[in-house]
Amino acid sequence: MNTPIYRFKKLIAITLTPVIFAACSTPIKPEGADMARSKLIQLQSDPQLASRAPVAIQEAELAVRAAEVPQEDVGLGKHLVFMADRKIDIATYQAHSRLSEDQRKMLSEQRDNARLDSRTREADRAHSDATAARREANLANMDTEIALQQAADLQRQIAELNAKATDRGLVVTLGDLLFDTGKATLKGGAAGHLGKLAAFLNQYPDRTVMIEGHTDNVGSEDYNLGLSQRRANSVMTYLVSQGVASNRLAAYGKGENFAISDNESASGRQQNRRVEIIIANTAARQ
Amino acid sequence: MTHRLTIMKVMGTHRSPLQLITAVAILFSLVACATVPQPPNQELAAAEMAINSADQARAVDYASAELHEARTKLAAARAAVQQEKMILAQQLAEQSRVDAELALAKAEATKAKAINDEMLKSTDVMKQEMQRNTGDKQ
Repeated sequence: MNTPIYRFKKLIAITLTPVIFAACSTPIKPEGADMARSKLIQLQSDPQLASRAPVAIQEAELAVRAAEVPQEDVGLGKHLVFMADRKIDIATYQAHSRLSEDQRKMLSEQRDNARLDSRTREADRAHSDATAARREANLANMDTEIALQQAADLQRQIAELNAKATDRGLVVTLGDLLFDTGKATLKGGAAGHLGKLAAFLNQYPDRTVMIEGHTDNVGSEDYNLGLSQRRANSVMTYLVSQGVASNRLAAYGKGENFAISDNESASGRQQNRRVEIIIANTAARQ
Repeated sequence: MTHRLTIMKVMGTHRSPLQLITAVAILFSLVACATVPQPPNQELAAAEMAINSADQARAVDYASAELHEARTKLAAARAAVQQEKMILAQQLAEQSRVDAELALAKAEATKAKAINDEMLKSTDVMKQEMQRNTGDKQ
């Protein structure tokens, strides 16, 4: 049996046997498969992500299962682990994308609310601005109305007083009907006309007043001068008695020298017998 | 023992177990060499398609490393085909594909996040502006 041929056969058998056994060596679980599994479990147990990429997670699950199968071929095992790891990453990113998309609805709602809020406030602000402006305008209008009213009142009162606007101011001419001939005492009926004047002067307290007495040329000049002064004085006294401050008033007797009509006719003389009340213009009012 | 004897009888000879094992080993190696290797065309095409998809999603801006890896592996897979290492080629093609798919997924996730951040920022700006305005007024 110990022939050379037999020995050769024995040699071949001894050489090949370990080769065959090596090829069929005990399969082992590829390195990294456990890590891939725990990574997948982490993804699957994330409440925000797990439900958001079901297909990709299922693929990752299959890939991890394939990687967990014990392999004789170390290279194949590595490949399967790599594939599993990548599929888990893909699933994770897909879930994140989906999560962002889902959050976007909420974000856009928030943004819309903020925008709406800001517009509402803007509108409110504009509204309150407009209200304030309107109120101011109303006040201004009211002022204008008051001013107009006052001007109208003045015009009416001036008309009632038979006043004439002149360079010296408003001139109210009181005729001789206020006085008896040769007397300086006011007649009873004079109170009505002078009363209006007093009221007017009280209404415009910043106006000063000159009271001038005039006569016709009947009688001596001195007498006429004295008479005109006394008549002016009695008008002033009356006005003071009606509440007009005396420091606003001045009374002058002008005598017969400032005739406004000729003294030849009775009607002319009557026009010359008069008391003129000159109400000074004030810059502020006119 | 009876089993082994039966086999020996089938072989119909007086040969030793060593001879039998040798024969089996030779048979195995012959079978391994007899398979004509086919290039993994399907896997290569899939990898290329995945890379194109990632490209279209501008993955180069958001996941350039992953995209680059996918391209490198696709090239390596083609080189392996040239060297008739078909199993390696298939694995590389499969890896290239998942790399490209990862690049795409990463790019999409990054873009989606960027949009949300932008929205959040604009909302904050609006809120701040509003507070400033009302602060001025009151």
